[in-house]
Amino acid sequence: MPNREKPSMVKGLKQLLKYIATRTAAYLATIFTGVTLTYIVVKAMPVDAVENILFNIISVTAVYDPASIELLRRNLYEILGMGGSPVESYLIFIRRVFTFDFGPSIIAYPTPASEIVFNRLPWTVGLLLTSTLTVWVTGNLLGVIAGYFRDRRFAKVLESVAITLYPIPYYIMALILIFLFAYLLRIFPLGGGISIIPEKLNLEVILNILWHSILPAASLILPGALGWSFLSSRTLTMQTLAEDYTRYAEARGLPRSHILKRYILRNILLPQTTVLALSLGGIFGGALLTEIVFTYPGVGQIAYRAIFSGDVYTLMAVLFLSIIGTATGTYLLDLLYPLIDPRVRYR
Amino acid sequence: MGTVTESLRRMGKLLITLYMGNLKFRIGFTILSILVILGFAVSPFSPTNTRSWYIVPRDRPPSYEYPLGTSSMGRDILWELCASIRNSLTIAFVTAMIASHIGLFLGFIAGIRGGVIDRILMFITDTFIIIPGLPLLMVVTTVLKRYLTIPTLGMLISIVSWPWPSRQVRSMVLSLRERTFIHTAKLSGMGTFRVIVQELMPYVLGWHLINFTNTILFSIGTESGLAILGLSILDDNTLGVMIYWALNWGYALFRGIWWWLAAPVATLVLVFISFYLVSIGMTEFMHPIARR
Amino acid sequence: MEPSLIVEGLKAGYKLQTIGSSEEVGVYVDAVSGVSFTLYRNEVFGIAGESGCGKSTLIKAVYGYYEPSLVLRGGSARIYGAKGEEFDTTRMDRGLLEKRVWWKHMSYIPQSSMNVLNPTMRIRDHFAEILRIHVGMKKGEAYQEARKYLEEVGLPVDALSAFPHQLSGGMRQRVVIALAILLEPSLILADEPSSALDVINQKVALTLLREKQEALKNTLVIVSHDMGVHGVLTHRMAIMYAGKIVEIGRTADIFWKPLHPYTKALIESLPRLGDKSKRVGLSGSPPDLKKPPDGCRFHPRCPYAMLICSRAEPSLREIKEGHYTACWLYSEAVGEPR
Repeated sequence: MPNREKPSMVKGLKQLLKYIATRTAAYLATIFTGVTLTYIVVKAMPVDAVENILFNIISVTAVYDPASIELLRRNLYEILGMGGSPVESYLIFIRRVFTFDFGPSIIAYPTPASEIVFNRLPWTVGLLLTSTLTVWVTGNLLGVIAGYFRDRRFAKVLESVAITLYPIPYYIMALILIFLFAYLLRIFPLGGGISIIPEKLNLEVILNILWHSILPAASLILPGALGWSFLSSRTLTMQTLAEDYTRYAEARGLPRSHILKRYILRNILLPQTTVLALSLGGIFGGALLTEIVFTYPGVGQIAYRAIFSGDVYTLMAVLFLSIIGTATGTYLLDLLYPLIDPRVRYR
Repeated sequence: MGTVTESLRRMGKLLITLYMGNLKFRIGFTILSILVILGFAVSPFSPTNTRSWYIVPRDRPPSYEYPLGTSSMGRDILWELCASIRNSLTIAFVTAMIASHIGLFLGFIAGIRGGVIDRILMFITDTFIIIPGLPLLMVVTTVLKRYLTIPTLGMLISIVSWPWPSRQVRSMVLSLRERTFIHTAKLSGMGTFRVIVQELMPYVLGWHLINFTNTILFSIGTESGLAILGLSILDDNTLGVMIYWALNWGYALFRGIWWWLAAPVATLVLVFISFYLVSIGMTEFMHPIARR
Repeated sequence: MEPSLIVEGLKAGYKLQTIGSSEEVGVYVDAVSGVSFTLYRNEVFGIAGESGCGKSTLIKAVYGYYEPSLVLRGGSARIYGAKGEEFDTTRMDRGLLEKRVWWKHMSYIPQSSMNVLNPTMRIRDHFAEILRIHVGMKKGEAYQEARKYLEEVGLPVDALSAFPHQLSGGMRQRVVIALAILLEPSLILADEPSSALDVINQKVALTLLREKQEALKNTLVIVSHDMGVHGVLTHRMAIMYAGKIVEIGRTADIFWKPLHPYTKALIESLPRLGDKSKRVGLSGSPPDLKKPPDGCRFHPRCPYAMLICSRAEPSLREIKEGHYTACWLYSEAVGEPR
């Protein structure tokens, strides 16, 4: 027996390595192409960053001497790596990508772009991580229950609610929530991330942050948990219920709770982890519109401001993070999923 | 010519079957028809130019004379809303026409041909999927601000809308290809092209219709998102642009002119729900497991 | 002889909701229409008939597994456990059947083994869950037991930790058989147990079933449209036509001295060694069970049909010892029809 198994093991290992290699190559290639494409588009922005900074400096320092302005302009071009041919500045940009040093920002010159982005990252990740996980857990749980008891009244009510909430974009949901809870009922603030000056992290600060993040989180959670996540796990549940293996398990006299746990939940949560991994990968891009609508101090805000002031480097830092996040989510999923789900094998 | 009228006739028949047989489709289609009538049949009768300012008294709440009230810009919200529905639907239709067909074409080629062509096409698709769509569109619309019109905006949005339909059609074709009837057709000596047209198309076209509807949803959503950020066509009427002015210029909520914001938000919600109902109505019709 | 299953006047069928242009119309498919028979310990019993004759429905009704559209219309199905305990499956609700009857006293082998095992669960856990839930066995002990049963059906021990998709169709079928005999039930119902397998695996699976039955000395019911299967495996058999049993008897009698015209046609159509004459099939097709014909359900196709056949239904009568048929041809004189 072992003699016969050995060659197949070696073959399997070879196949696995080949799979990992091609997948890694594709991963790096999509990131590279994605970043390059984005860079080309971003560079086409009509706002001239140098003139922007120059204008700021001149209005603050009141320098009017044309010669020193010209010198300043040339220096700025050099510091920002914007002089020279497009190919040269592209190469400079690529070099910077590797060190994650995107150069000085323009919206808060001369703070480095990456520093600005990293400062805002905890806000975005905090908001999106919580809401993504909440969406995934509650949506799937409700979906499985509604799918299992599909003829009960509450399941039908839940379905109608989900069908209504799902197609509504989260920023429209945000506007509705603001209208209801901040304008009509006045329970929550209209926006912002925090309304007191945090001297050190204490309970008051945390509560204040939470209070500000409830509406933004709700605007993300409602269409998600009672929408996509719910509807897909409900459909999957109904499909699994109709599968031969579930019906044969029933015929074996296994109790309902056991079937729900070992047969339905297990077969559903596996494909649903795909969605979770992808949305977790998407966290770093920020929820741009939610952040704008609620004036929430996250990464999306930064991207927005960067676009309006032609801040190529800050914008690229945000977009790069987002591209890496999404691509890595997919990549890890492709590598790890066959380990989690026995039905899928490496191709 | 004969085939065109034939397929139109079949389309009509399908619509009637769906309308009779599926409650979700019926509700969605009815709301949608009302919106289309408001946008395309009613809006041309607007007594005033919906794009000019200060032509009616400002900040009037809903009344007999102004059923949906007036805005701080001095516009009659009812008529502005009708024009906005028309423009938003037009943008979305342009996007769907372009993006869903690019998706259909690329997905079909990738699925049918397989091999290197499939890998190249899917690489391009994946690249577009990982690029964050909204920021990219924001940059593009800033760059091309001067050229933005209702149709060109629809075209721009289709840049980020085609990858999903493409992936969907591809996986559809791949799974269909494995089914026995395709093998039978091939073995019986039908050419590849005829296999595609006669055996695959009827299946794929149904899903294409669903992709089309979903792309419309996506496009309306993206346009209103861009508009809220001030990156849509601010001097024309769209549902998103109405929200932009109400929020950022009129401070409608702070000043208590809620009707200015409520009209476009409520209409958008109706648009989304009706298109979605139409879409799932069709999906349930195509894929009976979801029906139970 | 101790009985293991007594079925009396069992009636079951499908309530279908067809969506008409405006109103919903309820249609009843009369799939099992007053079926009675008795099975004994240590026998292999076959149920034959063309597809759609209600043989699978009969099995489901006896088992008590009602899908939403399947309804019970009357009759009883009493099964007897190893210690003589009696359970009438038609009078027990699902929960009670699950707890007291299914798998302990009666198990079921489905048509196809392709998709009946949980794709995300290892083979050994399929055994362990049954032993844990039905007998309260500990996990380690259950795994030992699983190993024993796998060996018994001739599977390598590696299969224990495999997932279903890693096994071939024939191996999966053996796993299903091992599962069915795990709690040594007194009745095993096998619904076309090999129809999805190739000829070789079919033979292996059927032989295995027969062996296990001989070891357990219990009752094995085999439902199959394939008369060859019955000829090789079963001791006694029933022929079903359009929801009714038309003939019951020892398998040898049925093959060599069939009574009912339908059985005759079935046997006639079997290929025989050395016989080169052309097979004459039965003309016509089985009746629509939504509106079955009056009288004997076979009369529209019967070459010997008489006036009475379309008016009254013949009952199942013992013609020779242990050989029953429902046919007017045998109502008065016992003898071969000419």
